[in-house]
Amino acid sequence: MTEDYFSFTERLFDQSQTSGKPEALKGIRVLDLSRVIFGPMVAKWLALFGAEVIKIEQPEEGDDWRSGTYWGKYWKDSSPYFQSLNPNKYFVAIDLKEEKGKDLVKDLAKKADVVIENYRAGLAEAWGLGYMAMSKINPKIIYISCSGYGQWGPMRYFPSYDLISQSVSGVARMTGFSEKRTFKLPDYYGDFFPAILGVVGVLSALHHRERTGKGQFIDMAQTEALMRVMHNWTYMSATGQDIHPTGNFDPTMAPSGIFKTRDGLFISIAVATKEQFLILTEAMGAVELATDKRFQETAERLKGENAAIINEKLAQWVHTQNAEDIITLAKAKGFAAAVVMDDEKLVRDEWREARGSVVEFVDDMYGNSRFAGPAVSLHKSPGRIKRLTRPIGYHNRYVFKKILGLSEEDIRKLEKEDVIGYWDNRVGKRPPSYVDISKDKIFNYKKDERA
Amino acid sequence: MKKKEQVFSKHMTGKKTQEQLEQFNKLLGEMMGSIGGKKGALEQIRVLEIGHANFPGLVCGAMLGEMGADVIKIEPPQGDAAREATHHGHYIQGVGIPFVMESRNKLLITIDFDDEQGIENIKKLVRKADILIDAMKPGYLDELGIGYRQISAVNPGLIYAAVSPYGHYTQKGRDFQNIPDTDLTAQSESGYPALTGDPGLPEPDNYPVRAGIWAATYMSAAVCVAGIMTALLHRDRTGEGQMVDMATYDALSAWMGFSHVWGFTNEKPRIRVGNYDWCLFPYGYYQAKDGYVTVAAGSDADFRGLIKILGRWDLEDDWRFVFDRIADDPVKLDELEKEMKKEFVKHTRKVLSEKTLAYGAKAARDKLRSKGFPIVVSTLKPSEVVEEKHWKIRRSFEEFDIKDHGRITVPSLPPRMSESPSKIEWIKTGIGEDNEEVYKKYKLIMKD
Repeated sequence: MTEDYFSFTERLFDQSQTSGKPEALKGIRVLDLSRVIFGPMVAKWLALFGAEVIKIEQPEEGDDWRSGTYWGKYWKDSSPYFQSLNPNKYFVAIDLKEEKGKDLVKDLAKKADVVIENYRAGLAEAWGLGYMAMSKINPKIIYISCSGYGQWGPMRYFPSYDLISQSVSGVARMTGFSEKRTFKLPDYYGDFFPAILGVVGVLSALHHRERTGKGQFIDMAQTEALMRVMHNWTYMSATGQDIHPTGNFDPTMAPSGIFKTRDGLFISIAVATKEQFLILTEAMGAVELATDKRFQETAERLKGENAAIINEKLAQWVHTQNAEDIITLAKAKGFAAAVVMDDEKLVRDEWREARGSVVEFVDDMYGNSRFAGPAVSLHKSPGRIKRLTRPIGYHNRYVFKKILGLSEEDIRKLEKEDVIGYWDNRVGKRPPSYVDISKDKIFNYKKDERA
Repeated sequence: MKKKEQVFSKHMTGKKTQEQLEQFNKLLGEMMGSIGGKKGALEQIRVLEIGHANFPGLVCGAMLGEMGADVIKIEPPQGDAAREATHHGHYIQGVGIPFVMESRNKLLITIDFDDEQGIENIKKLVRKADILIDAMKPGYLDELGIGYRQISAVNPGLIYAAVSPYGHYTQKGRDFQNIPDTDLTAQSESGYPALTGDPGLPEPDNYPVRAGIWAATYMSAAVCVAGIMTALLHRDRTGEGQMVDMATYDALSAWMGFSHVWGFTNEKPRIRVGNYDWCLFPYGYYQAKDGYVTVAAGSDADFRGLIKILGRWDLEDDWRFVFDRIADDPVKLDELEKEMKKEFVKHTRKVLSEKTLAYGAKAARDKLRSKGFPIVVSTLKPSEVVEEKHWKIRRSFEEFDIKDHGRITVPSLPPRMSESPSKIEWIKTGIGEDNEEVYKKYKLIMKD
């Protein structure tokens, strides 16, 4: 007898086996010159799947996001957001304003496969650390520049952030109940989405290099990433009109919305097809709607007036049901429904833990930790979190000795000349107060990080 | 004379640096100006996409195709039901806008899944494939004898990407396998709407609010493509294929991860805070004299720069706001927000953005670099965005003819790659439009 499908897949994706499995990107060396979210997230993917990512920060200052946190809260002297953005990386601090600092970066670049930067367009180039310089010393290098509008074109030098990009792309006008009051996409979607397309760019360049031996330059523009996901352009060219904000109604699906249940929870339900609509009406005990001329065909159901009527009927039905009962029906019959989750439920979600997208672990420096794991599962070469972040310059010795072959004397000299450095004593940059750094074996490079 | 390009860093001034930047620009022009004969990174990679009303699956296929893969989308004879979804019921030749957009570079064929010959045809195709996108109900292809365990036996190099709401493993995956994919429900299971909205508004506008684009669909599709590419690199070195599992109801939250951080460290969820941000202030949309502006002035230095520009330096010394990191105090924010709103509405969008840019350019040359750089831009409508010359130069939008319809515009996939650029070659939408070509090429058997 054949094994049940889910028993078969359960074995494939057995989370307890993850740490023993190979890493897809092992042996790939990445220089991460980036900061805040966009660039660091490109590097994070590579680090989760086994690349050796060396994050280069400015001594004392470090990544701006080290001090960026919500409502002033820190976790063991660190920004917990920064932790989430930069696991598995090696932290070195080099002063890029010093010629000798630039030389150190270039020495690392000679031995690297990928360089990631997200300074304002043109700045890395002006510093002599751009693609022109790097490709000269390492022609096989894959160099990705992440910026608001790209390195090429008249808007290139204009400043950008997540929210600015949401506005320049038009995304800003899409969320909410009316044109007069739109909301931003929260939690910096304008950084996280472009970052994943940057990852795709780097991975495709690595694949291209496997086949041809050639490196390349990648120009990743935040705003173009957001434009790629908008249906507005095609809709406009076909109808001559724009798509306007429609609140919780998804204009491509009717009925659709976020509704309040009898027990006061918010639940979303959306119907994409005729088949799904029939199923929903059965669940509602209102099959007559499925043969109603206004709703029977998807094309009719989506039209303004009809959509409003069917949405209202659904809202009323949801109001008479408990959330759990709706989910039970959705599972049994097969229509799309989900209770609106929240931060706490997410991080404590058993399903996510079983998938490996929420992971609990003990970090050598920060202790008990619970963070998001890889967002997709690969059964033979899965991603994994091996450690959290470290203070500025924590891996200086590790990287300079192991990779560049510098001696203790060389390093002391560079320290003295302020070419390399460490954290200063501000929160977000320093080690947790309970760590005695003078005895730390990794910091003093008495031992390797765990593979 | 050409107008001098405005720069916002002291490091980008000086004759020598300017020359260097000019040289870089020239190189970019050569690398990016025209694609010429360059091929995409996934040239010769063969992809099969099988899906039913599954939007992330559609997007995965489109992105792989745009990077140069040969993508064959297999539909049942009546077509993929994903064709039905479209904005307000507007179709292009009977096909929904999202489906049209995500049909780029695909060959469209039909195969009858209920017919043994059809399954034989799929088996033939799969033997020669590098990547299979399974966007059907979990276990469905396995039942038909074309799931991962059967195919990997004959094609061990295959990368099998399973795309479904709750994934192809775990107890919940099993219990929820009937639930179809939609962006809205995926957003909700990822906790995304819980972060948007204003509890102060009247019901139901005070509910959690849907992101007005397919935020979850596109995020999960892109994460899945990154997973596929990672598996492809593993294969490049080992020759081994593998199974990639994407839970589309999870990827948005897992990739962004900030909800997890908040939940872990606070042990309670965030409340909805309207126009505010949890880390930065001001960081939101404001009414200007002639429309809306977006303001990002997150650091204390940026904020001080902003009130200087707005002529409200008096606020700097106001007892309510003298502390740094003003964004950390939501109660005081309400008061400060009132002052901000009062100021922005006095000026036009143009004046606000010109003033802040001029300030930023000057502040960037400051020795101590302590003057900040507040940014104010017009909150553009999409109809204003398409007119921008910058995107024309970069070919961010492309136009295609749809048979019997006319021209349509679609956005192209970033990033721009100097050696292996992505490219939209065609957009087709007809059900089974490429049957003849594909059936012949792969010697499939056509039922009469």
